[in-house]
Amino acid sequence: MNIVVAVKVVPDDQDIQVTAAGELDMSKAHQAISAYDLNAIEAAAQLAAAAGDSTVSVVTVGGSAIDDSKLKKNILARGADQLFMVADDAAADLDAHATAAALAEKIQAIGACDVVICGDGSADNYAQQVDVQLAAKLGVPSVNGVVKIEANGAAITAERKLEDVVEVVEVPTPCVLAVSPDVALPRIPGMKDILKAGKKPMDIAGAGEIAAATVKTIEVKAPEAAERKLDVKDAADDGAIEAFAAAIKAAL
Amino acid sequence: MADEVAVAVIGAEEVPAGIADAAYHVAVPADAVADDANLTLAPVVEGADVVIAEPTRHVKSVVGKLAAAAGASVITDALSIEGGVATEMYFGGVGQVKRQAETSCAFYTAGAGAFGDAQPSGGNGAAEELAWVAPANAVKLVSSSPIEKSGVDLTKSDVVVAAGRGFAEEGDLDLARAFCDKIGAGLGCSRPLAEGVNWMPTETYIGVSGLMLSPKVYVGVGISGQMQHMVGVKSAGTVFAINKDKNAPIFKQCDYGLVGDLKTILPALTAAL
Repeated sequence: MNIVVAVKVVPDDQDIQVTAAGELDMSKAHQAISAYDLNAIEAAAQLAAAAGDSTVSVVTVGGSAIDDSKLKKNILARGADQLFMVADDAAADLDAHATAAALAEKIQAIGACDVVICGDGSADNYAQQVDVQLAAKLGVPSVNGVVKIEANGAAITAERKLEDVVEVVEVPTPCVLAVSPDVALPRIPGMKDILKAGKKPMDIAGAGEIAAATVKTIEVKAPEAAERKLDVKDAADDGAIEAFAAAIKAAL
Repeated sequence: MADEVAVAVIGAEEVPAGIADAAYHVAVPADAVADDANLTLAPVVEGADVVIAEPTRHVKSVVGKLAAAAGASVITDALSIEGGVATEMYFGGVGQVKRQAETSCAFYTAGAGAFGDAQPSGGNGAAEELAWVAPANAVKLVSSSPIEKSGVDLTKSDVVVAAGRGFAEEGDLDLARAFCDKIGAGLGCSRPLAEGVNWMPTETYIGVSGLMLSPKVYVGVGISGQMQHMVGVKSAGTVFAINKDKNAPIFKQCDYGLVGDLKTILPALTAAL
């Protein structure tokens, strides 16, 4: 089975600083695999193991900063076999439509593909739209919210957890599946996995033709924080718990 | 936002009268999924200036396909839309981003809160039934079963207690439950407790992709204060925090904080209330 995982590389949100002017400073942020895409990679690795004789290819599109050797090894240390990366400032911060177009071009270049797995949503925009846009671009069906994947001949039987119902669906392959974090717990790569990852095939390329922007970003700002009292006490201090209890009572 | 409003409902629900200028209904065949309603809805969306969709998984699929067909992208989970500019969360609430569609039709998903107290109006009567148009590679529905909810609707709770990773063992959650009983609170959690260790029902996690609440009182217990969680209670009336790490970020975002072990604090606090 040929399995593709589409992932996004984002600045690590733990490293994002808010400046005095309320701007977001990402200059010190490491490049990281978007958190829920880790579950997608693991789901692909597990599906490959279950199906046997499979290849897991990871595809990602982003600015030139994503061509980071530690990050590339981290991606390939999680059960994937090969990496296809478009790292080009022309491909930084693309909208869902343009991202899907760039991913589709890469995926079609890899060759036969049975399943494309996407994460639940990216850490930055969490729009949950690249999966469905990518499926439209590839002309294949897609479902989201997937928590279980089973290969079933020329189809995938998927269980999806939606807001109020659990659906079991049959999706003809090739198809795109967006998985919920529940689908698989990401592995923690060991030193051996990381060393091996460095020897796996990596295809790093510039961007081809990038689709015109469909959405314009006007402003990015930190939200205004509510003023809080910040009355913090050590629980061991005399009367601290009682004062805390009194404050709760007063607020109820 | 527009002179003429058409509403389209996918699924079993009936379309109420008097809420729009035109109304459409799509019945989903028994072996199909609502996600595949895009071709059925395409004629309704054709020529529209704005499409606003409900932010559910089914509808996110449908509106995504409609946008893809129009060569557009959907601006999702808009907190507000003013003069064609939508405000969305960025990095789970670490930032906010303002975006505008550059296509002839703007697509958005937005929850009810985005439009404040705007009231529906219009002269629509019974909805027009749209005949289902199946796509070429249709997804086949095998079964659909309702999720049994825990019965707690935190969106209706005035008082919310959230448990975080500070709880080392599942059994310790009983301490939080006893505390909740005492102050009449609903118990929620941060995402790892619902989806990492499965100690709490998925529908009780607060924050990005989970619940967005504005209770009168919020008490974070063993919650470190990651943005991803805190954004879900940002508009709480009074924020209380209990954590053993005095450097936990939540102590910079609370009204009252207690530094210490939740296993000793919770029983003492429950007794003191």
